[in-house]
Amino acid sequence: MSGLIRIISYALQDIGRNAGLSAMTVFMLVLMLLSLNVVWTVNQLAGESIALVKKEVRLSVFLAPDIADRSIDELENYLRSFPEVISVSRLNRDQALAEFKARYAGRGEVLSALNELTENPFGPIFMVAARDPADYQRLISALALPEYDRFIEGTSFEAHAGALERLGVIIRRVTEGGIILLGLFSLIAFLIIFNTVRVAISTQRAEISIKRLVGAGSWFIRGPYLVAAVLFAVVSVALTITLVLITLRYVDPYLRGVFTNGFSLTNYYRSHILVIIGGQLLAVLVLTVLSSGLAMRRQLRV
Amino acid sequence: MIDITGIKKTYPASGLILDDIHLHIDPGEFVSIVGQSGAGKTTLVRLLIAEEKPSAGRIAIGGWDISNLAPSEVPYLRRQIGVIFQDFKLLPKKTVFENVAFALEVAGERRLRIRAVVPQVLGIVGLQDKRNHYPAELSGGEQQRVVIARSLVHRPKVIIADEPTGNLDTINAAEVIEIFKKINEFGTTILLVTHNRDVVNQLRRRVITIERGRLISDEKHGKYVL
Ligand SMILES: Nc1ncnc2c1ncn2[C@@H]1O[C@H](COP(=O)(O)OP(=O)(O)OP(=O)(O)O)[C@@H](O)[C@H]1O
Ligand SMILES: [Mg+2]
Repeated sequence: MSGLIRIISYALQDIGRNAGLSAMTVFMLVLMLLSLNVVWTVNQLAGESIALVKKEVRLSVFLAPDIADRSIDELENYLRSFPEVISVSRLNRDQALAEFKARYAGRGEVLSALNELTENPFGPIFMVAARDPADYQRLISALALPEYDRFIEGTSFEAHAGALERLGVIIRRVTEGGIILLGLFSLIAFLIIFNTVRVAISTQRAEISIKRLVGAGSWFIRGPYLVAAVLFAVVSVALTITLVLITLRYVDPYLRGVFTNGFSLTNYYRSHILVIIGGQLLAVLVLTVLSSGLAMRRQLRV
Repeated sequence: MIDITGIKKTYPASGLILDDIHLHIDPGEFVSIVGQSGAGKTTLVRLLIAEEKPSAGRIAIGGWDISNLAPSEVPYLRRQIGVIFQDFKLLPKKTVFENVAFALEVAGERRLRIRAVVPQVLGIVGLQDKRNHYPAELSGGEQQRVVIARSLVHRPKVIIADEPTGNLDTINAAEVIEIFKKINEFGTTILLVTHNRDVVNQLRRRVITIERGRLISDEKHGKYVL
Protein backbone atom coordinates (compact mmCIF):
# COMPACT_ATOMS: atom_id res chain seq x y z
CA MET A 1 0.00 0.00 0.00
CA SER A 2 2.71 2.46 0.95
CA GLY A 3 4.48 1.17 -2.16
CA LEU A 4 1.57 2.29 -4.32
CA ILE A 5 1.52 5.69 -2.67
CA ARG A 6 5.26 6.04 -3.32
CA ILE A 7 4.81 5.04 -6.95
CA ILE A 8 2.06 7.62 -7.41
CA SER A 9 4.10 10.31 -5.72
CA TYR A 10 7.12 9.48 -7.94
CA ALA A 11 4.83 9.85 -10.95
CA LEU A 12 3.58 13.24 -9.76
CA GLN A 13 7.14 14.33 -9.03
CA ASP A 14 8.31 13.23 -12.50
CA ILE A 15 5.45 15.10 -14.15
CA GLY A 16 6.08 18.23 -12.10
CA ARG A 17 9.83 18.31 -12.63
CA ASN A 18 9.49 17.64 -16.35
CA ALA A 19 6.77 20.26 -16.58
CA GLY A 20 7.61 21.36 -20.12
CA LEU A 21 7.51 17.86 -21.54
CA SER A 22 4.37 17.01 -19.57
CA ALA A 23 2.58 20.12 -20.82
CA MET A 24 3.62 19.34 -24.39
CA THR A 25 2.32 15.80 -24.14
CA VAL A 26 -1.02 16.91 -22.72
CA PHE A 27 -1.25 19.70 -25.33
CA MET A 28 -0.79 17.27 -28.20
CA LEU A 29 -3.28 14.82 -26.76
CA VAL A 30 -5.84 17.62 -26.33
CA LEU A 31 -5.26 18.80 -29.90
CA MET A 32 -5.82 15.30 -31.19
CA LEU A 33 -8.94 14.82 -29.09
CA LEU A 34 -10.31 18.21 -30.16
CA SER A 35 -10.01 17.36 -33.84
CA LEU A 36 -11.66 14.04 -33.12
CA ASN A 37 -14.52 15.91 -31.46
CA VAL A 38 -14.81 18.34 -34.37
CA VAL A 39 -15.18 15.51 -36.87
CA TRP A 40 -17.60 13.76 -34.60
CA THR A 41 -19.70 16.91 -34.15
CA VAL A 42 -19.71 17.74 -37.86
CA ASN A 43 -20.89 14.23 -38.60
CA GLN A 44 -23.60 14.54 -36.02
CA LEU A 45 -24.73 17.89 -37.44
CA ALA A 46 -24.67 16.54 -40.97
CA GLY A 47 -26.83 13.58 -40.06
CA GLU A 48 -29.19 15.79 -38.10
CA SER A 49 -29.61 18.39 -40.85
CA ILE A 50 -30.15 15.81 -43.57
CA ALA A 51 -32.82 14.18 -41.43
CA LEU A 52 -34.37 17.56 -40.81
CA VAL A 53 -34.44 18.56 -44.46
CA LYS A 54 -35.72 15.16 -45.48
CA LYS A 55 -38.54 15.53 -43.05
CA GLU A 56 -39.50 18.96 -44.41
CA VAL A 57 -39.48 18.04 -48.05
CA ARG A 58 -42.97 17.85 -49.55
CA LEU A 59 -44.20 17.02 -52.98
CA SER A 60 -46.75 19.61 -54.06
CA VAL A 61 -49.33 18.41 -56.55
CA PHE A 62 -51.19 21.33 -58.15
CA LEU A 63 -54.66 20.41 -59.25
CA ALA A 64 -56.84 22.07 -61.85
CA PRO A 65 -59.23 24.72 -60.40
CA ASP A 66 -62.23 23.01 -61.94
CA ILE A 67 -61.52 19.54 -60.59
CA ALA A 68 -64.49 17.67 -59.14
CA ASP A 69 -64.49 16.72 -55.48
CA ARG A 70 -64.89 13.06 -56.40
CA SER A 71 -61.77 13.17 -58.50
CA ILE A 72 -59.90 14.79 -55.64
CA ASP A 73 -60.87 11.97 -53.30
CA GLU A 74 -59.98 9.39 -55.90
CA LEU A 75 -56.56 10.97 -56.41
CA GLU A 76 -55.95 11.14 -52.70
CA ASN A 77 -56.78 7.46 -52.27
CA TYR A 78 -54.47 6.67 -55.14
CA LEU A 79 -51.65 8.60 -53.44
CA ARG A 80 -52.30 6.99 -50.10
CA SER A 81 -52.09 3.54 -51.64
CA PHE A 82 -48.32 3.91 -52.00
CA PRO A 83 -46.43 2.44 -49.01
CA GLU A 84 -43.81 5.21 -49.34
CA VAL A 85 -46.36 7.89 -48.62
CA ILE A 86 -46.55 8.94 -44.99
CA SER A 87 -49.19 11.62 -45.22
CA VAL A 88 -51.25 13.56 -47.70
CA SER A 89 -52.68 16.91 -46.73
CA ARG A 90 -54.95 19.02 -48.80
CA LEU A 91 -55.19 22.79 -49.37
CA ASN A 92 -58.47 23.93 -50.84
CA ARG A 93 -58.59 26.71 -53.42
CA ASP A 94 -58.92 29.52 -50.88
CA GLN A 95 -56.08 28.15 -48.80
CA ALA A 96 -53.93 27.84 -51.91
CA LEU A 97 -54.61 31.48 -52.74
CA ALA A 98 -53.88 32.57 -49.17
CA GLU A 99 -50.65 30.62 -49.19
CA PHE A 100 -49.58 32.21 -52.43
CA LYS A 101 -50.38 35.67 -51.12
CA ALA A 102 -48.47 35.00 -47.97
CA ARG A 103 -45.43 33.81 -49.90
CA TYR A 104 -45.39 36.90 -52.14
CA ALA A 105 -46.39 39.31 -49.38
CA GLY A 106 -43.46 41.65 -50.16
CA ARG A 107 -43.91 41.68 -53.94
CA GLY A 108 -46.56 44.26 -54.79
CA GLU A 109 -46.47 43.75 -58.57
CA VAL A 110 -47.24 40.03 -58.21
CA LEU A 111 -50.10 40.71 -55.84
CA SER A 112 -51.59 43.52 -57.93
CA ALA A 113 -51.45 41.27 -61.00
CA LEU A 114 -53.32 38.71 -58.96
CA ASN A 115 -55.90 41.27 -57.89
CA GLU A 116 -56.64 42.09 -61.52
CA LEU A 117 -58.14 38.66 -61.82
CA THR A 118 -61.77 38.39 -60.86
CA GLU A 119 -61.56 34.72 -60.09
CA ASN A 120 -59.24 32.69 -57.87
CA PRO A 121 -56.87 31.10 -60.39
CA PHE A 122 -55.63 28.46 -57.97
CA GLY A 123 -56.77 24.93 -57.76
CA PRO A 124 -56.46 22.73 -54.66
CA ILE A 125 -53.02 21.48 -53.72
CA PHE A 126 -51.88 18.14 -52.28
CA MET A 127 -48.89 18.21 -49.96
CA VAL A 128 -47.42 14.71 -50.00
CA ALA A 129 -44.84 13.55 -47.47
CA ALA A 130 -42.88 10.42 -48.32
CA ARG A 131 -40.51 8.33 -46.30
CA ASP A 132 -37.43 9.22 -48.34
CA PRO A 133 -36.70 12.02 -50.83
CA ALA A 134 -35.84 9.35 -53.39
CA ASP A 135 -39.45 8.20 -53.24
CA TYR A 136 -40.74 11.47 -54.73
CA GLN A 137 -39.34 10.77 -58.14
CA ARG A 138 -41.25 7.49 -58.20
CA LEU A 139 -44.46 9.22 -57.07
CA ILE A 140 -44.11 11.84 -59.78
CA SER A 141 -43.80 9.21 -62.48
CA ALA A 142 -46.69 7.30 -60.91
CA LEU A 143 -48.82 10.44 -61.26
CA ALA A 144 -47.91 10.92 -64.92
CA LEU A 145 -50.80 8.78 -66.08
CA PRO A 146 -53.00 9.91 -69.05
CA GLU A 147 -56.17 9.67 -66.94
CA TYR A 148 -54.79 12.19 -64.41
CA ASP A 149 -53.32 14.44 -67.02
CA ARG A 150 -56.42 16.61 -67.07
CA PHE A 151 -56.54 17.18 -63.24
CA ILE A 152 -52.91 17.74 -62.50
CA GLU A 153 -51.46 21.04 -63.57
CA GLY A 154 -48.04 20.36 -62.19
CA THR A 155 -45.88 19.00 -59.44
CA SER A 156 -43.22 20.88 -57.66
CA PHE A 157 -40.44 19.01 -56.11
CA GLU A 158 -37.49 19.62 -58.42
CA ALA A 159 -36.52 22.80 -56.65
CA HIS A 160 -36.42 21.00 -53.29
CA ALA A 161 -34.56 18.09 -54.82
CA GLY A 162 -31.87 20.42 -56.06
CA ALA A 163 -31.55 22.03 -52.65
CA LEU A 164 -31.31 18.64 -51.00
CA GLU A 165 -28.63 17.53 -53.42
CA ARG A 166 -26.67 20.72 -52.80
CA LEU A 167 -26.94 20.20 -49.05
CA GLY A 168 -25.69 16.63 -49.46
CA VAL A 169 -22.67 17.88 -51.39
CA ILE A 170 -21.90 20.57 -48.83
CA ILE A 171 -22.12 18.07 -45.98
CA ARG A 172 -19.92 15.61 -47.81
CA ARG A 173 -17.33 18.36 -48.39
CA VAL A 174 -17.39 19.44 -44.76
CA THR A 175 -17.05 15.85 -43.53
CA GLU A 176 -14.20 15.22 -45.94
CA GLY A 177 -12.51 18.39 -44.73
CA GLY A 178 -12.98 17.25 -41.13
CA ILE A 179 -11.48 13.87 -41.82
CA ILE A 180 -8.50 15.42 -43.56
CA LEU A 181 -8.10 17.73 -40.55
CA LEU A 182 -8.29 14.77 -38.17
CA GLY A 183 -5.74 12.89 -40.25
CA LEU A 184 -3.42 15.89 -40.21
CA PHE A 185 -3.77 16.43 -36.46
CA SER A 186 -3.31 12.74 -35.74
CA LEU A 187 -0.18 12.67 -37.87
CA ILE A 188 1.27 15.71 -36.09
CA ALA A 189 0.29 14.28 -32.71
CA PHE A 190 1.81 10.95 -33.60
CA LEU A 191 5.07 12.54 -34.74
CA ILE A 192 5.36 14.71 -31.64
CA ILE A 193 4.46 11.94 -29.22
CA PHE A 194 6.79 9.57 -31.04
CA ASN A 195 9.61 12.07 -30.72
CA THR A 196 8.74 12.78 -27.08
CA VAL A 197 8.89 9.07 -26.33
CA ARG A 198 12.15 8.75 -28.24
CA VAL A 199 13.72 11.53 -26.19
CA ALA A 200 12.24 10.04 -23.04
CA ILE A 201 13.76 6.68 -23.88
CA SER A 202 17.30 7.97 -23.76
CA THR A 203 16.86 9.92 -20.52
CA GLN A 204 14.86 7.13 -18.92
CA ARG A 205 17.34 4.47 -19.92
CA ALA A 206 20.00 6.05 -17.74
CA GLU A 207 17.49 6.54 -14.93
CA ILE A 208 16.26 2.99 -15.07
CA SER A 209 19.76 1.56 -14.88
CA ILE A 210 20.37 3.73 -11.81
CA LYS A 211 17.15 2.60 -10.20
CA ARG A 212 18.08 -1.02 -10.84
CA LEU A 213 21.50 -0.39 -9.40
CA VAL A 214 20.11 0.71 -6.06
CA GLY A 215 17.79 -2.27 -5.89
CA ALA A 216 14.46 -1.06 -7.24
CA GLY A 217 12.10 -3.85 -8.25
CA SER A 218 10.21 -3.84 -11.54
CA TRP A 219 7.15 -2.14 -10.08
CA PHE A 220 9.09 0.78 -8.72
CA ILE A 221 10.49 1.26 -12.21
CA ARG A 222 7.40 0.59 -14.36
CA GLY A 223 4.80 1.93 -11.96
CA PRO A 224 5.48 5.67 -12.19
CA TYR A 225 5.49 5.60 -16.00
CA LEU A 226 2.19 3.78 -16.11
CA VAL A 227 0.65 6.09 -13.52
CA ALA A 228 1.90 9.08 -15.53
CA ALA A 229 0.39 7.65 -18.72
CA VAL A 230 -2.96 7.21 -16.99
CA LEU A 231 -2.80 10.73 -15.53
CA PHE A 232 -1.99 12.25 -18.95
CA ALA A 233 -4.97 10.45 -20.43
CA VAL A 234 -7.37 11.53 -17.69
CA VAL A 235 -6.20 15.16 -17.71
CA SER A 236 -6.28 15.52 -21.49
CA VAL A 237 -9.75 14.00 -21.81
CA ALA A 238 -11.08 16.17 -18.98
CA LEU A 239 -9.55 19.29 -20.56
CA THR A 240 -10.94 18.44 -23.98
CA ILE A 241 -14.45 17.74 -22.76
CA THR A 242 -14.44 20.98 -20.77
CA LEU A 243 -13.26 22.94 -23.81
CA VAL A 244 -15.85 21.28 -26.02
CA LEU A 245 -18.71 21.97 -23.60
CA ILE A 246 -17.66 25.62 -23.27
CA THR A 247 -17.46 25.99 -27.06
CA LEU A 248 -20.85 24.37 -27.51
CA ARG A 249 -22.38 26.93 -25.22
CA TYR A 250 -21.52 29.53 -27.89
CA VAL A 251 -22.38 27.34 -30.86
CA ASP A 252 -25.76 26.18 -29.66
CA PRO A 253 -27.60 29.53 -29.96
CA TYR A 254 -26.72 29.58 -33.68
CA LEU A 255 -27.92 26.03 -34.08
CA ARG A 256 -31.20 26.88 -32.43
CA GLY A 257 -31.88 29.19 -35.37
CA VAL A 258 -31.25 26.39 -37.84
CA PHE A 259 -32.65 23.36 -36.09
CA THR A 260 -36.25 24.18 -35.42
CA ASN A 261 -36.74 20.72 -33.92
CA GLY A 262 -34.81 21.81 -30.84
CA PHE A 263 -31.66 19.82 -31.58
CA SER A 264 -28.83 20.98 -29.31
CA LEU A 265 -25.26 19.73 -29.34
CA THR A 266 -24.92 20.41 -25.62
CA ASN A 267 -27.87 18.14 -24.95
CA TYR A 268 -26.43 15.58 -27.33
CA TYR A 269 -23.10 15.62 -25.48
CA ARG A 270 -24.79 15.55 -22.10
CA SER A 271 -26.91 12.55 -22.94
CA HIS A 272 -23.98 10.63 -24.47
CA ILE A 273 -21.39 11.85 -21.97
CA LEU A 274 -20.47 8.41 -20.64
CA VAL A 275 -19.89 7.00 -24.11
CA ILE A 276 -17.97 10.10 -25.19
CA ILE A 277 -15.73 10.23 -22.12
CA GLY A 278 -15.30 6.47 -21.98
CA GLY A 279 -14.47 6.16 -25.66
CA GLN A 280 -11.94 8.97 -25.68
CA LEU A 281 -10.38 7.87 -22.40
CA LEU A 282 -9.96 4.38 -23.77
CA ALA A 283 -8.43 5.67 -27.00
CA VAL A 284 -5.92 7.92 -25.24
CA LEU A 285 -5.11 5.29 -22.61
CA VAL A 286 -4.32 2.79 -25.32
CA LEU A 287 -2.08 5.37 -27.00
CA THR A 288 -0.21 6.53 -23.89
CA VAL A 289 0.11 3.18 -22.15
CA LEU A 290 1.15 1.54 -25.39
CA SER A 291 3.82 4.12 -26.14
CA SER A 292 5.30 4.15 -22.65
CA GLY A 293 4.95 0.36 -22.50
CA LEU A 294 6.88 0.02 -25.73
CA ALA A 295 9.52 2.42 -24.47
CA MET A 296 9.85 0.47 -21.21
CA ARG A 297 9.99 -2.92 -22.85
CA ARG A 298 13.08 -1.84 -24.68
CA GLN A 299 14.76 -0.46 -21.60
CA LEU A 300 13.81 -3.05 -19.04
CA ARG A 301 15.78 -5.71 -20.81
CA VAL A 302 18.91 -5.78 -18.63
CA MET B 1 32.73 -12.32 2.63
CA ILE B 2 33.35 -12.71 -1.08
CA ASP B 3 34.22 -16.10 -2.58
CA ILE B 4 35.12 -16.36 -6.21
CA THR B 5 36.02 -19.82 -7.48
CA GLY B 6 37.07 -20.62 -11.03
CA ILE B 7 35.26 -17.74 -12.69
CA LYS B 8 35.35 -17.46 -16.46
CA LYS B 9 33.55 -14.88 -18.56
CA THR B 10 33.24 -14.96 -22.31
CA TYR B 11 31.57 -12.36 -24.53
CA PRO B 12 30.61 -13.52 -28.00
CA ALA B 13 32.06 -10.33 -29.42
CA SER B 14 35.33 -10.28 -27.47
CA GLY B 15 36.09 -13.87 -26.50
CA LEU B 16 37.45 -14.84 -23.09
CA ILE B 17 37.59 -11.76 -20.82
CA LEU B 18 38.06 -13.37 -17.39
CA ASP B 19 39.98 -16.61 -17.12
CA ASP B 20 39.83 -18.85 -14.07
CA ILE B 21 39.76 -16.23 -11.31
CA HIS B 22 39.99 -17.49 -7.71
CA LEU B 23 39.63 -14.94 -4.95
CA HIS B 24 38.70 -14.97 -1.30
CA ILE B 25 38.01 -11.76 0.61
CA ASP B 26 37.40 -11.74 4.37
CA PRO B 27 34.88 -9.49 6.14
CA GLY B 28 36.35 -6.09 6.91
CA GLU B 29 39.09 -6.19 4.30
CA PHE B 30 39.98 -3.21 2.12
CA VAL B 31 41.03 -4.65 -1.23
CA SER B 32 42.27 -2.73 -4.24
CA ILE B 33 42.06 -4.24 -7.70
CA VAL B 34 44.40 -2.81 -10.30
CA GLY B 35 45.21 -3.65 -13.89
CA GLN B 36 45.61 -2.15 -17.30
CA SER B 37 42.74 -0.84 -19.30
CA GLY B 38 40.76 -3.71 -20.78
CA ALA B 39 42.14 -6.22 -18.26
CA GLY B 40 38.63 -7.21 -17.17
CA LYS B 41 38.20 -5.32 -13.87
CA THR B 42 34.83 -3.82 -14.66
CA THR B 43 33.67 -7.17 -15.98
CA LEU B 44 34.52 -8.69 -12.60
CA VAL B 45 32.50 -5.95 -10.87
CA ARG B 46 29.54 -6.62 -13.17
CA LEU B 47 29.63 -10.28 -12.18
CA LEU B 48 29.74 -9.35 -8.49
CA ILE B 49 26.61 -7.19 -8.71
CA ALA B 50 24.81 -9.77 -10.90
CA GLU B 51 24.61 -7.45 -13.87
CA GLU B 52 26.23 -10.28 -15.83
CA LYS B 53 26.38 -14.01 -15.25
CA PRO B 54 29.69 -15.91 -15.24
CA SER B 55 30.23 -18.35 -18.09
CA ALA B 56 31.73 -20.78 -15.60
CA GLY B 57 32.57 -20.87 -11.89
CA ARG B 58 30.86 -19.70 -8.75
CA ILE B 59 30.51 -16.38 -6.91
CA ALA B 60 29.21 -16.20 -3.35
CA ILE B 61 28.66 -13.07 -1.26
CA GLY B 62 28.21 -13.67 2.44
CA GLY B 63 27.60 -17.34 1.65
CA TRP B 64 24.89 -16.52 -0.92
CA ASP B 65 25.57 -18.03 -4.34
CA ILE B 66 24.82 -15.28 -6.79
CA SER B 67 26.32 -16.83 -9.92
CA ASN B 68 22.92 -17.74 -11.30
CA LEU B 69 20.54 -15.29 -9.69
CA ALA B 70 16.94 -15.02 -10.96
CA PRO B 71 16.06 -11.48 -12.15
CA SER B 72 13.53 -11.14 -9.34
CA GLU B 73 16.28 -11.75 -6.76
CA VAL B 74 18.66 -9.14 -8.15
CA PRO B 75 17.04 -6.21 -6.30
CA TYR B 76 17.66 -8.00 -2.97
CA LEU B 77 21.34 -8.43 -3.80
CA ARG B 78 21.61 -4.76 -4.80
CA ARG B 79 20.26 -3.76 -1.41
CA GLN B 80 22.98 -5.72 0.35
CA ILE B 81 25.95 -4.37 -1.51
CA GLY B 82 26.82 -0.76 -2.15
CA VAL B 83 27.86 -0.04 -5.72
CA ILE B 84 29.77 3.03 -6.85
CA PHE B 85 30.85 3.76 -10.42
CA GLN B 86 33.15 6.28 -12.03
CA ASP B 87 30.27 8.20 -13.58
CA PHE B 88 28.19 9.49 -10.72
CA LYS B 89 24.93 7.66 -11.18
CA LEU B 90 22.42 10.04 -9.64
CA LEU B 91 18.85 10.72 -10.72
CA PRO B 92 19.06 14.24 -12.21
CA LYS B 93 15.49 15.20 -11.35
CA LYS B 94 15.76 14.29 -7.68
CA THR B 95 17.46 16.25 -4.94
CA VAL B 96 20.38 14.91 -2.91
CA PHE B 97 18.02 13.88 -0.13
CA GLU B 98 15.57 12.24 -2.56
CA ASN B 99 18.34 10.38 -4.38
CA VAL B 100 19.54 8.84 -1.14
CA ALA B 101 16.01 8.23 0.15
CA PHE B 102 15.09 6.51 -3.11
CA ALA B 103 17.27 3.49 -2.33
CA LEU B 104 15.36 3.05 0.94
CA GLU B 105 11.93 3.74 -0.53
CA VAL B 106 12.25 1.04 -3.19
CA ALA B 107 13.12 -1.42 -0.44
CA GLY B 108 9.87 -0.54 1.30
CA GLU B 109 11.46 1.20 4.29
CA ARG B 110 9.18 3.23 6.52
CA ARG B 111 9.13 6.97 6.19
CA LEU B 112 10.22 7.44 9.79
CA ARG B 113 13.33 5.34 9.29
CA ILE B 114 14.11 7.11 6.02
CA ARG B 115 13.96 10.45 7.82
CA ALA B 116 16.45 9.14 10.35
CA VAL B 117 18.87 7.29 8.07
CA VAL B 118 19.29 9.76 5.21
CA PRO B 119 20.68 12.65 7.30
CA GLN B 120 22.93 10.16 9.05
CA VAL B 121 24.60 8.92 5.85
CA LEU B 122 24.73 12.42 4.41
CA GLY B 123 26.56 13.32 7.60
CA ILE B 124 29.14 10.60 7.04
CA VAL B 125 30.05 12.06 3.63
CA GLY B 126 29.76 15.66 4.89
CA LEU B 127 26.86 16.78 2.70
CA GLN B 128 24.19 17.54 5.31
CA ASP B 129 23.88 21.13 4.15
CA LYS B 130 23.48 20.22 0.45
CA ARG B 131 20.49 17.97 0.96
CA ASN B 132 18.12 20.06 -1.17
CA HIS B 133 20.51 20.57 -4.09
CA TYR B 134 20.01 18.84 -7.43
CA PRO B 135 22.97 16.81 -8.78
CA ALA B 136 23.67 19.46 -11.42
CA GLU B 137 24.26 21.95 -8.58
CA LEU B 138 27.05 19.87 -7.06
CA SER B 139 30.73 19.46 -7.88
CA GLY B 140 31.95 16.10 -9.16
CA GLY B 141 33.41 15.19 -5.78
CA GLU B 142 30.17 16.09 -4.04
CA GLN B 143 28.15 14.03 -6.50
CA GLN B 144 30.37 11.05 -5.90
CA ARG B 145 29.94 11.52 -2.14
CA VAL B 146 26.16 11.44 -2.60
CA VAL B 147 26.56 8.14 -4.43
CA ILE B 148 28.63 6.84 -1.53
CA ALA B 149 26.01 8.03 0.96
CA ARG B 150 23.33 6.25 -1.05
CA SER B 151 25.38 3.05 -1.10
CA LEU B 152 25.50 3.17 2.70
CA VAL B 153 21.78 3.40 3.47
CA HIS B 154 21.24 -0.35 3.69
CA ARG B 155 24.28 -0.78 5.97
CA PRO B 156 25.91 -3.03 3.37
CA LYS B 157 28.50 -5.60 4.36
CA VAL B 158 30.34 -4.91 1.11
CA ILE B 159 30.97 -1.83 -0.95
CA ILE B 160 32.16 -2.30 -4.52
CA ALA B 161 33.60 0.79 -6.17
CA ASP B 162 34.74 0.84 -9.81
CA GLU B 163 37.16 3.75 -10.30
CA PRO B 164 35.20 6.05 -8.01
CA THR B 165 37.91 8.67 -8.28
CA GLY B 166 38.35 8.39 -12.04
CA ASN B 167 36.64 11.70 -12.76
CA LEU B 168 37.94 13.57 -9.72
CA ASP B 169 40.95 15.78 -9.10
CA THR B 170 43.56 14.82 -6.50
CA ILE B 171 41.93 16.63 -3.59
CA ASN B 172 38.43 15.31 -4.23
CA ALA B 173 39.85 11.83 -4.86
CA ALA B 174 41.71 11.89 -1.54
CA GLU B 175 38.51 12.98 0.20
CA VAL B 176 36.57 10.09 -1.30
CA ILE B 177 39.26 7.61 -0.26
CA GLU B 178 39.19 9.07 3.27
CA ILE B 179 35.48 8.34 3.40
CA PHE B 180 36.09 4.77 2.27
CA LYS B 181 38.67 4.34 5.00
CA LYS B 182 36.21 5.63 7.55
CA ILE B 183 33.51 3.26 6.32
CA ASN B 184 36.02 0.41 6.37
CA GLU B 185 36.79 1.18 10.00
CA PHE B 186 33.10 0.54 10.80
CA GLY B 187 33.73 -3.02 9.55
CA THR B 188 32.46 -2.76 5.98
CA THR B 189 34.36 -4.75 3.37
CA ILE B 190 35.58 -2.57 0.53
CA LEU B 191 36.50 -3.61 -2.99
CA LEU B 192 38.11 -0.74 -4.82
CA VAL B 193 38.96 -0.89 -8.52
CA THR B 194 41.36 1.90 -9.34
CA HIS B 195 43.94 3.29 -11.72
CA ASN B 196 45.24 5.71 -9.17
CA ARG B 197 48.79 4.84 -8.18
CA ASP B 198 48.94 7.32 -5.29
CA VAL B 199 45.75 5.99 -3.78
CA VAL B 200 46.97 2.41 -3.84
CA ASN B 201 50.41 3.17 -2.53
CA GLN B 202 49.13 5.34 0.26
CA LEU B 203 46.55 2.80 1.40
CA ARG B 204 49.08 0.00 2.04
CA ARG B 205 46.33 -2.57 1.97
CA ARG B 206 45.77 -5.74 -0.02
CA VAL B 207 46.29 -5.27 -3.77
CA ILE B 208 45.15 -7.65 -6.49
CA THR B 209 46.46 -7.26 -10.02
CA ILE B 210 44.59 -8.51 -13.07
CA GLU B 211 46.23 -8.79 -16.46
CA ARG B 212 44.42 -9.91 -19.60
CA GLY B 213 41.70 -11.60 -17.59
CA ARG B 214 44.02 -13.46 -15.24
CA LEU B 215 44.81 -12.75 -11.60
CA ILE B 216 48.57 -12.34 -11.63
CA SER B 217 49.39 -11.04 -8.17
CA ASP B 218 47.79 -10.77 -4.74
CA GLU B 219 49.77 -8.96 -2.05
CA LYS B 220 48.83 -8.28 1.56
CA HIS B 221 50.38 -4.80 1.72
CA GLY B 222 50.78 -4.15 -1.91
CA LYS B 223 51.96 -1.37 -4.13
CA TYR B 224 50.86 -0.29 -7.55
CA VAL B 225 53.33 -2.23 -9.66
CA LEU B 226 52.22 -1.79 -13.26
N1 LIG C 1 29.26 -6.30 -22.98
C1 LIG C 1 30.44 -6.62 -23.56
N2 LIG C 1 30.45 -7.30 -24.72
C2 LIG C 1 31.60 -7.62 -25.31
N3 LIG C 1 32.80 -7.31 -24.83
C3 LIG C 1 32.87 -6.64 -23.68
C4 LIG C 1 31.70 -6.26 -22.99
N4 LIG C 1 32.06 -5.60 -21.84
C5 LIG C 1 33.41 -5.57 -21.85
N5 LIG C 1 33.92 -6.20 -22.95
C6 LIG C 1 35.33 -6.37 -23.28
O1 LIG C 1 35.95 -6.94 -22.15
C7 LIG C 1 37.25 -6.40 -22.00
C8 LIG C 1 37.44 -5.99 -20.56
O2 LIG C 1 36.59 -4.90 -20.30
P1 LIG C 1 36.50 -4.25 -18.85
O3 LIG C 1 35.52 -3.16 -18.92
O4 LIG C 1 36.29 -5.32 -17.86
O5 LIG C 1 37.96 -3.67 -18.68
P2 LIG C 1 38.56 -2.84 -17.46
O6 LIG C 1 39.61 -3.65 -16.87
O7 LIG C 1 37.47 -2.38 -16.59
O8 LIG C 1 39.20 -1.60 -18.24
P3 LIG C 1 39.26 -0.08 -17.77
O9 LIG C 1 40.41 0.01 -16.81
O10 LIG C 1 39.57 0.66 -19.03
O11 LIG C 1 37.96 0.26 -17.17
C9 LIG C 1 37.40 -5.28 -22.99
O12 LIG C 1 38.26 -5.69 -24.04
C10 LIG C 1 36.00 -5.05 -23.51
O13 LIG C 1 36.05 -4.76 -24.87
MG1 LIG D 1 36.56 -0.51 -16.10
